[in-house]
Amino acid sequence: MADKVLIVGGGISGISAAVEAAEAGLEAVIIEKNPYLGGRVAQLHKYFPKLCPPYCGLEINFKRIKQNPMISFYTLAEVTNISGSEGDYNVTVRVNPRYVNEKCTACNDCVEQCGASRPNEFNYGMDSTRAVYLPHEMSFPLRHVVDKSACDAGCQKCVEACKYGAIDMSMEPQTVEVNASSIVFATGWNPYDASKIENINFATSQNVITNVMMERLAAPNGPTKGKLLRPSDGKEVKNVAFVQCAGSRDENNLDYCSAICCMASLKQATYIRDSYPEDSKATIFYIDLRAAGKYEDFLQRLQADENVTMTKGKVAKIEEAASGDVTVTVEDILGGGKIEATFDMVVLAAGMEPAAKGANIPASLTYEANGFIDADNLPAGISACGVARRPDDVSASVQDATGAALRALQSRAGVNKPLEAAEMSGGN
Amino acid sequence: MADETVEKTEDTAGAGEEITETAASEAEAVPVASEAEAAPAVREAVAITPDVGFVKELISSGGADLKKCYQCATCSVACNLTPDASPFPRKEMMWAQWGLKDKLMGNPDIWLCHQCNDCTAQCPRGAKPGTVMNAVAKMTISRFSKPGFLTKGVGNPSALILMMALPIAILAVAIGIFGSYSPTRGEMVDGKLQHAGDIVYGQFLGHWPIVGVFTSFFVLSIIVFALGIRSYWGALKAHAADEGQPIAGSGFGKLGPVIGEIFTHKRFGKCDETEDRKTSHMFIFYAFGLLFLATIVSTLLTDGPLLWGGEGVLSPYPTISVVKLFAYPGAAAGLIGIGLITINRFKHQEKLGGLGSYFDWLLISVIIVLMVTGIGSVAFRLANIGALAFPTYFVHLSAVLFLFIYAPFSKMAHMVYRTVALTFARVSGRDLGVD
Repeated sequence: MADKVLIVGGGISGISAAVEAAEAGLEAVIIEKNPYLGGRVAQLHKYFPKLCPPYCGLEINFKRIKQNPMISFYTLAEVTNISGSEGDYNVTVRVNPRYVNEKCTACNDCVEQCGASRPNEFNYGMDSTRAVYLPHEMSFPLRHVVDKSACDAGCQKCVEACKYGAIDMSMEPQTVEVNASSIVFATGWNPYDASKIENINFATSQNVITNVMMERLAAPNGPTKGKLLRPSDGKEVKNVAFVQCAGSRDENNLDYCSAICCMASLKQATYIRDSYPEDSKATIFYIDLRAAGKYEDFLQRLQADENVTMTKGKVAKIEEAASGDVTVTVEDILGGGKIEATFDMVVLAAGMEPAAKGANIPASLTYEANGFIDADNLPAGISACGVARRPDDVSASVQDATGAALRALQSRAGVNKPLEAAEMSGGN
Repeated sequence: MADETVEKTEDTAGAGEEITETAASEAEAVPVASEAEAAPAVREAVAITPDVGFVKELISSGGADLKKCYQCATCSVACNLTPDASPFPRKEMMWAQWGLKDKLMGNPDIWLCHQCNDCTAQCPRGAKPGTVMNAVAKMTISRFSKPGFLTKGVGNPSALILMMALPIAILAVAIGIFGSYSPTRGEMVDGKLQHAGDIVYGQFLGHWPIVGVFTSFFVLSIIVFALGIRSYWGALKAHAADEGQPIAGSGFGKLGPVIGEIFTHKRFGKCDETEDRKTSHMFIFYAFGLLFLATIVSTLLTDGPLLWGGEGVLSPYPTISVVKLFAYPGAAAGLIGIGLITINRFKHQEKLGGLGSYFDWLLISVIIVLMVTGIGSVAFRLANIGALAFPTYFVHLSAVLFLFIYAPFSKMAHMVYRTVALTFARVSGRDLGVD
């Protein structure tokens, strides 16, 4: 019988669940499809409401993982089959080749020799990397990876450049079998594809970006090294519109509130204000601002800034002019009438779509109407946490992951029966 | 403005007093404060009295989804027909949810809306603002066309038989008294045999009884419309004054450009989702125009000569005659128009989440019957099939009378109320510059 939890997803939820379970004595295995751990959080510039860098918290977790022999993880890995039941699940994992072994020191010599490039998905396609690349400066594990589909056929330049013999182009996908007492789905989310939203012209407007792109634009390790420059012409972005509920709470797109976008836009307004304190302006167009509970202070802080305007009314039309300036049309509901306003750049507060949706996870999971995993109706020994089961922010996801770790502990082989026996004897 | 008012009432009971006091002290200190300075500080507290019965009626009249609206204002942006100031239909959706009957009824925007349904197509909640606007329009008709119960009857499917019975009974009685249920073919008129062997509808019900019945109801409808226009104009003015933009004078000066835009269907042309409605409505619009002209010409031919002691020309008219010059193209346009309207409804069904209200479909159906039986009457007469011709003609007369009697109470009334509202919109500066 297994005494182990398998966690699908190595983002903040999966990492938290693994660390919590392992530190309570249960072996944890993380399966992550990216070549690095940290998920969407690794791509954030700052957390709200403290405005601290997320990597700080991730680093602490990575350290806990490194120090704890109870935790193991596979990157570039995906679950291909699940069989068995609580206490004895058999999970087949396909581990795709990294083409870089543990000898890599991340010296970057290979990258300098590589002539092939690929879009950089870490920066949401706003720049590109070489075919051999380090996912990002803070990658964990800190090791390069080769995207063989981007390589020139038969090219061996990087192999020759590596003085440690770390690059091995002959690696093949491997299959790993994991026997686990329980499984946690922490599959997280993908940003909603804003090109599906009508009349917003996201696909054809360079200076209409999404909120996740804005995180990368503001990040020091982003495509502009943290300078807020607009994509079309590199002009300093000093007058920005935030379009709330871009595709969210919309039966034609995402029929729910993603819970984080209001706070994310308020946070991103500070990026602009902090970058150009003298003359920058942020305008947030909203249906209603959802800064619940402890977050209200943050909202009030932004409201106090006279260069941050909050206008009630949903932007339903966006057009980019040849100059690169972007005009939005909106009804200023609180008495302003139907207006057109022009900005340097527009940020769409696009929502989160569950990554599990349409991912054909090989398990008998139930999903609620929007594709989130229905955590109340899962087979024994399987649980879901974080955005896999509902839209939430980082701190709520971490709390949720702790709950998943507890459920995993309860699913340990043989734990349930002695507990019942103990209860019975306690009754005597 | 209305957005804040409810919040104020809900806030605290004392808020209203406080504001009043502030206003008073300000007024003392600065007796001639400019409007711009005073406006932001003073906001009157207004109690809202929702008319729940009205909301329920609106919901049952086609606005079934109005409560799904969460006031995002996508609709106001989607609409190509709204003025920029106080745009529709977002504010109407709020008024509808709150049961603010007077605001809705006195609001010309209800008729500036041409049911393009661009709003409905883009609505993130499926609240169907276009349909709600249409339902409000229906209720506007029922409020101003007296007696109002007739609109309720016309809008109620279970009253259909009763509503149909009236014109049928009137015609049946008229035929019983003045005409013949078993008309023969051809007849002696003043000692002359006319149209021997032909079907002559005049034998079924003669010229004068028809003129008598139809003119009576036509005049009655005009009286109902006149009274309706008067009270509707009053309500429009009262609403404008309520909104702080009082209107002086009548709208006659603006009637010309309004008729101009109606003839060109300029507003219809601005629809995105349902641009094809311009063509279909134009067909039906001009069909009615041509058929109206045909009726006028026919009346002139028949009764005109009597004025100078001459002899009128009784129908049937030859296929090539001045009456048919209007009648045939009119009938063709009508058939095409109503056909396109029906097809468009089905075509847009999915995007707009439905086929439309019973109120709309009743008019569409009556016009279909009207056009088909009108053309049928001529065809069967020319083919000399009496067994079909007379019943078809009877149905045709019934449909026309239905239209005449219920014109002020059915969807047909839109032609009058929309014209009034478009005129008022121009007077109050709420036209979009369609010219």
